[in-house]
Amino acid sequence: MQDMDTLSALTIKQLNHSVATANGQLDILKGIDLEIKDGESVAIVGASGSGKSTLLGLMAGLDQHSEGTIELYGKALETLDEEGRAILRGDYVGFIFQSFHLLPSLTALENVMLPNELKGERSARKRAIDLLTSVGLDQRLEHYPRQLSGGEQQRVAIARAFASAPKILFADEPTGNLDSKNGALVEDLLFDLNHKEGTTLVVVTHDPDLAKRCDRQIEIFDGELKGL
Amino acid sequence: MFAWRLLLREFKTGDVLTLLFALMLSVATVTGIGLFVDRLQQSFEQQSANLLGADRSVRRDDPPPAEWLTLAQQNGLETAQTVAFSSMVFSEAGLQLAQITAVSANYPLRGEFLTDDKPFAAGQSTQQAPAAKAIWLSSRLASLLDVSLGDTVRVGENSLTVTRFLVRDPGSASSAFSIAPRAIMNDQDLAATNVIIPGARVRYAFLYAGNSEALERFDTLLESRLGEGERIRTPVERGERIGNTVGRAESFLLLAGTLAVVMSGVAMALASSRYVKRHLTQFAVMKTLGATPKRLRALMGFQVSVITLLGIVLGSALGLLVQQLIASLLGSLMSTALPSPNLNTLWLGVATACISIIAFCAPLMARLIRVPPLRVLQPNTDIQAGTASLFLFGLVGMYLLMVVYAGGWRLPSIMMLALAVVTAIVFVVGWLLFKLSRRLSKQATTGWQLGLAALHRRLLSNLFQLLVFTLIIMLSLVLVGVQGNLIQDWQAQVPDDTPNHYLFNVQKPQLASIDAYTQEAGIVSSDWYPMVRGRVTRINGVAVDTLYAQRQDEPEIVERELNLTWANQVGEGAKLVSGDFGAEGISIEQSAALEAEVGLGDELEVNVGGLRYTLPITSIREVNWQSMQPNFYLILPQSVLSDYQANYVSSIYLNEQTAPDFYRFMANYPTVSMLNIGELLKQVQSIIGQLANALQIVLAFILGAGALVLVASVRTTLDERLEEGALLRTLGATKRIVRQALLVEFGALGLFAGIVGALGAELSLVGLQYFVFDMTLTLHPILWLVGPLSGWLIVTIIGVFASRAVLKVPPIRLLRSI
Repeated sequence: MQDMDTLSALTIKQLNHSVATANGQLDILKGIDLEIKDGESVAIVGASGSGKSTLLGLMAGLDQHSEGTIELYGKALETLDEEGRAILRGDYVGFIFQSFHLLPSLTALENVMLPNELKGERSARKRAIDLLTSVGLDQRLEHYPRQLSGGEQQRVAIARAFASAPKILFADEPTGNLDSKNGALVEDLLFDLNHKEGTTLVVVTHDPDLAKRCDRQIEIFDGELKGL
Repeated sequence: MFAWRLLLREFKTGDVLTLLFALMLSVATVTGIGLFVDRLQQSFEQQSANLLGADRSVRRDDPPPAEWLTLAQQNGLETAQTVAFSSMVFSEAGLQLAQITAVSANYPLRGEFLTDDKPFAAGQSTQQAPAAKAIWLSSRLASLLDVSLGDTVRVGENSLTVTRFLVRDPGSASSAFSIAPRAIMNDQDLAATNVIIPGARVRYAFLYAGNSEALERFDTLLESRLGEGERIRTPVERGERIGNTVGRAESFLLLAGTLAVVMSGVAMALASSRYVKRHLTQFAVMKTLGATPKRLRALMGFQVSVITLLGIVLGSALGLLVQQLIASLLGSLMSTALPSPNLNTLWLGVATACISIIAFCAPLMARLIRVPPLRVLQPNTDIQAGTASLFLFGLVGMYLLMVVYAGGWRLPSIMMLALAVVTAIVFVVGWLLFKLSRRLSKQATTGWQLGLAALHRRLLSNLFQLLVFTLIIMLSLVLVGVQGNLIQDWQAQVPDDTPNHYLFNVQKPQLASIDAYTQEAGIVSSDWYPMVRGRVTRINGVAVDTLYAQRQDEPEIVERELNLTWANQVGEGAKLVSGDFGAEGISIEQSAALEAEVGLGDELEVNVGGLRYTLPITSIREVNWQSMQPNFYLILPQSVLSDYQANYVSSIYLNEQTAPDFYRFMANYPTVSMLNIGELLKQVQSIIGQLANALQIVLAFILGAGALVLVASVRTTLDERLEEGALLRTLGATKRIVRQALLVEFGALGLFAGIVGALGAELSLVGLQYFVFDMTLTLHPILWLVGPLSGWLIVTIIGVFASRAVLKVPPIRLLRSI
């Protein structure tokens, strides 16, 4: 692990993924090869149904791929079971979702504390307060998600994503549910924190402006990768 | 700490509360009914113990060994003894053979004597046995000896003073036909009589009483010390007349409790499924944040354990409160105070909680742990989980709970079978009907069509909901039906003019004048039955002594001398089960035949007055002993008995107006015995009344619980309905159309559930009447009206009420909040 910085963050080789449907087998991803360097920011773009989100899920170890290899910081995901993948996610991965996915029963502060509390870390609270302050929500710590606007909820989600100091951050349409003003604010926060924390960033987006702010853009078309 | 905080937060959102509430309700219902049934049972045992004079008795030919007494006292039991023997009683006017019982000073341990200071009077109760040197004579014995209070009579060599007239002693209640004149004396005076000599026919009874644990302990100790032919008699068998009634009520309460368990199971499963549905994404999010399945299992295990524990504690407390409430509601109607609840029964609630959680909650919760993290990106990602195995788990759990609760497999099996049939019908017919509803609603323009279309759109969830509605309606109808049957049956058994006095030892020449009096006074009486004493000595040529030597207790028809009669017809309160009543043979009562293991064609040898007659059994009768009509185990052909001098027996009904005059009239016939069973009958009627009230309260309680389950069921699909309603309204549907759609959807569900529920209830009732309650099979047309009507009405009201937000809240707020 000492050589982490010299490693690729993510290496994908000959990735195929298919699912069984009522009409037979459906190939979603075909022959994907991709390498993402540590600290790099990459935007994955493509039409709806092209396989962007599926690729994101597989890269983050949320699902098992059918063929090929995916290495996340040197760990081959296909060799890990559900338990091992969860530990890997806890150690290396952060997430931001289009529909925020905050836990409705927890306050903003508790939501941000959640990743570290799940790991049993004691400093969860201080780190969460710092992060919420840095996204401008220090006055909203005890608010529940339903008491926050969409933009505020996504800012809490960003703070939560950075809480466990992940090496790599996956964002699925992070501004997809927000108006342009809030979208821009969330975008700025995302890239600022990313820069500050030195995190690798993989964003799935329809938004060309957001995509342009990344170091590199790749397009998926009908399950196959196209460099842009 | 994190787990605690998460749980506390969950409580705030209400989903965990619903689950806890369902669990609490299960525990409370089961505990409440369990405790109440236990109290009723205790109360019944006490009342029956009054008939036995103690909690237990052992009859034997020798005095009870001193060891028994010591052992009983060491176990904290009270003991008493009686010695029964026949002896001549002498007075100045003459002598008379009497059945005398010498009792210890503390007899009876339970119940009371009925005595009076006038002969042939109704009597007052006392728990005090006759003092030393005193004797109580039955009115008949007193008149035969021509003595009054204060006179002296002689038993053997001991002179005793008549201090009271005996109306009834605790031991006499079920031996209505022991016709010898009776006397009760103190056993201190027994030795001085010198009548107990070797070879004398004497029956000793060892009686004991105390709390149930001590009784159980001592019963086990005594069991191994009993001699051949001796057994421990319990109040339940003694009080068989009311035993049957109470037994059925217990079965009903058990049934009610069992059905409550099923309802609670459904409620638990519904609450769990709602909890799981609303937490799937949350668990997926936690997984993406690095929560391992192991960690989530621990979290879930902790939450479920806390909920279970809380459910048990709160549910048990609520159960205690509920049974107290039922008891106090009944209190004013009860003739005796209910014994306090036996807290041992609480384990039933604990078992219910544990089995419910394992069967209905844990498998669903396990789905949460298996939720794929991918769900955060693709909300429709399926969990690999066999719905069939979940269902099976729930069914097995439910069956197990019912078996635990009912303490047997018969009742649960009947109910499970009915549930299975109903489930199959609901799924097959429901599926077809929903498909039909789709055809009827090709264009969704009116509320009607929208409602019908909704039925088909949510096919699976609607089928499940339909199943829940149907089950709840069915279970409620089963309870209503059984309860109605039972109460009707009971009232028919002991109508108000049930005979309350027996007249026996009446001689043929006296019949006409007694009949003339009763006819003139408008007193209802039964026919006269001639009565001749006889004993069954052989069955199919084998002596009864050797035939039943292996059995602990001899069948009643060979154990003692029987009253035999002849009759031209089966008689009131009895009916022919098989054979030919008019044939030249023996007609035997059904339960006696079963006990002695004899049937049509078997030959009995009967010894009547020293002559032996061998006759085949030619008919079997079923006798309703609760009719209080004179009835007989054996009826012989007139040709056999007519040469013997017979005493006649009849039963009559006396009320407060007719009784005093009739008593005075009967004083003209001192040889006639009159047994007043009015007290006993009143006791039976009051128990029936109490039970009917208890059943009604329990029924109301369970119907309430059923309604709550319906509400819970509607809530499980509430989010979907609200979303759909809001969308419809956003798209321009008027409130009227949305309301109409809801009315049609819920109305159709309720109506169908009501119809299938009625069918299921009718099926269950047939099984229950036949296998459990031992009643005549009857159909219940009323269920077919009440079922669909109440199903339609209740489900519509609950459904539309629960979904009222669709009509009231602005659609945008609804859509945001979902």
